Amino acid sequence: MRFALYTMLFVITLATLASLGLCGCNAPPERGVMLQEGVASDSLASNIVTKPVIHAFSGLIGEGIEIDRAITRVNPDGFMTLEVAGHNRSFDNRVFEYKVEWLDKDGSVIDTTTSKWLQTSAAGKSPFVIKAVAPRTAAVDFRMNTRMVPK
Amino acid sequence: MIKKLIPFVLVFAILGCEGPTENIDTINDQGKAVMGLDYRDFDRAASTMVQSLIGSGALKKEGGKYVVATGRIVNDTMQRIDTDQLMAKVEKELMDSGLVVMTSSVTGGTSSRDSMLYDVRDIRDSKQGEEFKQDTLQAKGQLIAPELSISGKILQRNVRYENNRQQVEYYFQLQLTNLTNGLRSWQNETIIGKRGSDKLVPW
Repeated sequence: MRFALYTMLFVITLATLASLGLCGCNAPPERGVMLQEGVASDSLASNIVTKPVIHAFSGLIGEGIEIDRAITRVNPDGFMTLEVAGHNRSFDNRVFEYKVEWLDKDGSVIDTTTSKWLQTSAAGKSPFVIKAVAPRTAAVDFRMNTRMVPK
Repeated sequence: MIKKLIPFVLVFAILGCEGPTENIDTINDQGKAVMGLDYRDFDRAASTMVQSLIGSGALKKEGGKYVVATGRIVNDTMQRIDTDQLMAKVEKELMDSGLVVMTSSVTGGTSSRDSMLYDVRDIRDSKQGEEFKQDTLQAKGQLIAPELSISGKILQRNVRYENNRQQVEYYFQLQLTNLTNGLRSWQNETIIGKRGSDKLVPW
């Protein structure tokens, strides 16, 4: 009974450390190069023994996509450009769809055929970027929605 | 007696099993992907192309707007695609952007060309033209020639993926050409890939 309890505590501790990033998995080195499992040296998250536990815990707590920043600029022709940067906290590749809608100065949605659901993906434990260009110079703001890819 | 009724029962059972007809929610379609090209694929390709073209700056003309014609869009797929299905969306967005004006007088295809442009001129130059008020007929030398042309191709490649699966790749290619000097100022390609059972036909 005690052995089972201690084993469970050990496993949970490992998983917690991994989720806190202390396993050192995919921490970007100085020059921003991402080394994935199977390429880099083994870490807690990629080691053959601890990997199933770490990955299972990640799935259990529902790690997924997080957005770091959304930057808008106006290009030389007067069209707003959008760059959304985020990262995938999950160990698995995440495929999802996004739709960008553009708003004018009154907050009204600009009617455009470019506001469609587009597919993108983020590799496991990796950053990603979504870029969009407004089709009208009247666009001064945006809103973006996401959804899982329909199965 | 019962044996004679079985075929009728089967027919009614099959007819009764057909699902109801429903309209597609084209705004938030959650339907499954298909091996061929559907309206969602054209929407995605058009959206990507328009954003690339507008973002490239190739359509910016100092002090005015370019006159753009749609050139030849080749369909090199196994499907009977009306390429205007793609170009209609691109043309609309380009015009609404305020950067260009599209012309209906010269086109690579036929559907975006307005044949009335030349019908009225044929009338003007014929005996029928005498029936019209002469100042209401179109004068010669009024049409404006295009300065840029958008042309391209839709390609399809079928690849055997696994024993019972196939991969179909659709390549949407568009390019922008300056009709004065022949130089190409923009080009882009969008790939839409599908994987599915090799029993499904991609057309």
